Amino acid sequence: MRSRSFVIIFFAILFTGSFVSAYAQYPGYKPVADINAFKKKFAEESEKVQSITSDFTQEKTLVALTEKITSSGKFWFKRSNRVRIEYVKPFKYLLVMNGDKLLVRDNDRENKINVKSNKLFQQVNRIMIDCVQGTILDSKDFTTKVFENDKNYVLEMKPTSKALREFFDVIVLTVDKSDYAARSIEMNEPAGDTTTIFFENKKLNEAVADAVFAL
Amino acid sequence: MKRSLTRCLPFSVIVIFCCACASDYKMLEATSSDPACFEKLAPRHFETSWFHASVDVVGHHLSGLLLIKNMPDSSYRVVFTNEAGVTFFDFGFSKTGDFTVHNVIRQMNKRPVVQTLRNDFALILGLPFRTDVHQKWLHGNEVYYGVTQKKKIAYFITNKDCASLQRLEWGSARKQTVVVQISENGYPKPEQIELVHKTFNMQIKLTRFQKE
Repeated sequence: MRSRSFVIIFFAILFTGSFVSAYAQYPGYKPVADINAFKKKFAEESEKVQSITSDFTQEKTLVALTEKITSSGKFWFKRSNRVRIEYVKPFKYLLVMNGDKLLVRDNDRENKINVKSNKLFQQVNRIMIDCVQGTILDSKDFTTKVFENDKNYVLEMKPTSKALREFFDVIVLTVDKSDYAARSIEMNEPAGDTTTIFFENKKLNEAVADAVFAL
Repeated sequence: MKRSLTRCLPFSVIVIFCCACASDYKMLEATSSDPACFEKLAPRHFETSWFHASVDVVGHHLSGLLLIKNMPDSSYRVVFTNEAGVTFFDFGFSKTGDFTVHNVIRQMNKRPVVQTLRNDFALILGLPFRTDVHQKWLHGNEVYYGVTQKKKIAYFITNKDCASLQRLEWGSARKQTVVVQISENGYPKPEQIELVHKTFNMQIKLTRFQKE
């Protein structure tokens, strides 16, 4: 009898502990009650976004080494599947996605890749477009939980495929409630290192020339 | 014409064969050791630095950020990530030369790949030169300081008057296998490092940048 009570108390503590820790990650946030309504609204609002221009700051934290590297640049998106990410400081690096084609330029080289030729590129391309277009909640690449406070939604995305799980433990997308655009993306690696990209000076639906995505 | 070609062919084959077998270190002339110069120019210390890295391996190109961190216990950590932050590998080199793989992505987690990178970074960090036991050779205007590591020799090469470090090399008994060129300002905070493999097509180019 005593040992049964002990087991019940033990499991109660264990479950209470896991319950608390699930919310402790996002202080001030609570789970979204009607996930289907959120999904519908998220897709509808994202549908209205034809283009995004934004500055970004990226922080990579190497936990075990107590090292942090900050980089910054500019981000462009144009519906339906064109993305340009340009790192300016402290190094130069350019990535342009235009349909099935990808251009990568670093200090030395320029590489043009057909996304269709590589499964991982296809997956990364799809995820990026799903995040920006608001269709990530329907993605089979992740299981997603949604939390909210009065200003933001937090989408906690856990990769389902083995290939993605090798790179990411969980991806946390913070979405602004006022315009449903991403405020930040936090990528948590299995070893504990994190990379967070903060979007600043966002401009939605302003004219963006096609030349920005020229390959 | 055909007859002369037939006559020349064995000779050409012998010449090519001899050239291919010629030792890169045959011309070295052994000389007495110089502990003062060894102490002065042996690349024994590397300050924590961030580099933009560019890697070319048999026709494939890869770029990213490389951190070489000098830890408080005199060990080193070498971490390579892509520009977007995904970690490709995280290697540790202890003060005594022990090697630890803290993290490596599956695509790179192959023994020959890890061993090649281990040897490359051990040379860049100057780990073989933490000993005082060395040999010295002369060749033209250069002085070779070599430390034997199992079947290989790690060299650092200086100019004749011991004024500056010229380059680093890994060599087998006869052949150069890896050559590392260091920019003029040199250790402990080189601006640029260029490593070239001589036995297969691989290059690593590191350019230091100042963290924001």
